Amino acid sequence: MKLKETILNPIFKGNPITVLILGICSSLAVTVEMKGALVMALSVTIVTGLSSLICSLLRKTIPNRVRIIIQLVVVALMVILVDQFLKSFEATYPIDKQLSVYIGLIITNCIVMGRIEAFALGNKPIPSLLDGLANGVGYGLILIIVAFFRELLGSGTLFGIPVLSKLGYVNNGLMILPPMALILIGCIIWVQRSIQKDLQEK
Amino acid sequence: MEYLSLFVKSIFVDNMIFAYFLGMCSYLAVSKNVKTANGLGIAVICVLLITLPVNYWLNKFVLQPGALSWLGPRFENVDLSFLSFILFIAVIAAIVQVVEMVVEKFLPSLYSSLGIFLPLIAVNCAILGGSLFMQQREFANAGEAVVYALGSGVGWYLAIVALAAIREKLAYSNVPAALKGIGITFITVGLMGIAFMAFMGISL
Amino acid sequence: MNTNSNIYTVIYTTLVCVLVAAILAFVSQWLKPKQDANEKAETISQILTAAGFDQKAHWQEVGNAATLDFYKENLAEASLVNAQGETVGTLDKDKAVIYTPSELKVQNRSIKGGKEFKVPVYTFSNGVTVIPVYGAGLWGPVWGYLSFDENLDKLVGAYFDHESETPGLGGKIKDDPAFRAQFQGKSVDFADAKPFDIVKGGAPAGKENAIDAITGATMTSKGLNEAIVNWLEAYKGYLQGKVQAKAAEEAALAAEAEAEAAEENAETTAE
Repeated sequence: MKLKETILNPIFKGNPITVLILGICSSLAVTVEMKGALVMALSVTIVTGLSSLICSLLRKTIPNRVRIIIQLVVVALMVILVDQFLKSFEATYPIDKQLSVYIGLIITNCIVMGRIEAFALGNKPIPSLLDGLANGVGYGLILIIVAFFRELLGSGTLFGIPVLSKLGYVNNGLMILPPMALILIGCIIWVQRSIQKDLQEK
Repeated sequence: MEYLSLFVKSIFVDNMIFAYFLGMCSYLAVSKNVKTANGLGIAVICVLLITLPVNYWLNKFVLQPGALSWLGPRFENVDLSFLSFILFIAVIAAIVQVVEMVVEKFLPSLYSSLGIFLPLIAVNCAILGGSLFMQQREFANAGEAVVYALGSGVGWYLAIVALAAIREKLAYSNVPAALKGIGITFITVGLMGIAFMAFMGISL
Repeated sequence: MNTNSNIYTVIYTTLVCVLVAAILAFVSQWLKPKQDANEKAETISQILTAAGFDQKAHWQEVGNAATLDFYKENLAEASLVNAQGETVGTLDKDKAVIYTPSELKVQNRSIKGGKEFKVPVYTFSNGVTVIPVYGAGLWGPVWGYLSFDENLDKLVGAYFDHESETPGLGGKIKDDPAFRAQFQGKSVDFADAKPFDIVKGGAPAGKENAIDAITGATMTSKGLNEAIVNWLEAYKGYLQGKVQAKAAEEAALAAEAEAEAAEENAETTAE
């Protein structure tokens, strides 16, 4: 029962972007097109899952005073290792070219650190892994919603395939600019809190 | 003169928040009132001012290709730049922790007002962003790095104080219930960002 | 065990750092040759795409070995030139030696610092000449290749790559074929303040050495333009030298033809 909640909570009720306000920087940068949002969502899910697992395994040994450094080092190590391996095989090299853009964004993504700090350091490895993965999914969901509107209205395409532009739609250049992502996230929060009244602030 | 134009440019044209959207998480979380925004803003300026020169020397004498030549001719071709991410972030985390300890020990009154924000700064992307921009723009000397740190810190400070002032006023406005708090803040920041784009065309 | 004691903290941190450094050093040493081979094939495929031999996706499909073979077959010469445009060396064609982005970075530092540099020129057997450019975008380095026709006065293509530009905005220098297609048929004008210009808001109609910037990616466009201008200046000696040599050759040919015609005339009048 508790496991189910661990998985479902971050996806809607405790969504890292709209409720916990974590990982905003990268959500602005990568939501111009669906493809980028999808790659970022996948990489963040994998990295949060793995680093939560490792930090949870180490949780009893980490000295409190240097825990932030240790966490950052673990996260950075995971990301760089994945990058190095993908880079070495001919088949995965093109995938890495896509991913390498996001590496800096993943390391400094506060979702990874935030989940380690708030969950992994106080829980057993398996729930921590699930919590990390679920938060990645919740984060990715918002990315994809925002990217859907920005790509559709900004470039008239979805995954690079013309949709609206075929119908004679004139692209709205404003949607491509980063401030529109903020305004869209504001609107998503509006919708979510209209449904979930208990999240509203007084 | 060059220092002055770099300073002005890093405050307005290359504003960390509105031009690059860096350090958003703590920006949104800690801008409920002007007083705390002030504290965090000053803390960001201080940390940037310390970490940037340190990372500048680190880049110049350790990371950059050929940087290790002071160790002897055998090291002339060593390129450690693949380590820059992990080293920069370790330096930032370490300095934040040291600053926290020093402030706690010697300036307890400042610590109590800043205390909780200091650890947050380690994961503030504006700080790492500052170091990475510094590495990439290849500043000619440490002076430029310091001026850049000061400028981008002040830019961040201005942005957070401005938002906090708006949010204090927003508390009294009639906003739809579901948008109250963080929702309307997102939209406000978006509008501020569009306004700040006017600076982008200025060339100094 | 007291995990908060000073000694424990110091030992623990040191151990973690040493362990992480060791893992990274080991992995990067072990995988370096494979990564280098991939990077080389990628660079060659970009040069080939810029030169107009097929699309980038094609080279990805055929794989590293086929890309290298095609390059070796079609390359006429890969030479190194200096600021005066003198040829100061050649790159081994049989081993398909090229300048990787990291080597371009080193040369870029010399170009910007006003020091001696050696930059590569790739000439293909169909007459197309490819030169690299390198500079800083918004988040990290941007680089690419410009290709000229056999007279070195018109651009026939371009390809760009970047390390970490924003996908969908700055990333378009690589991903948007329409942006790259703008280079075709343009020319370089060293008499202008900027030999080549990427103009925000659209290039003036009819301007031969300017193209449109990418909407929403002002900084990347600016950085790329700076890279192109800096490197074109570096190749100024070579490009102008070649064009002058070509013009001189043509003038000489014309003079010769004229002389011959005059001679013939003289002969006819004598008769």
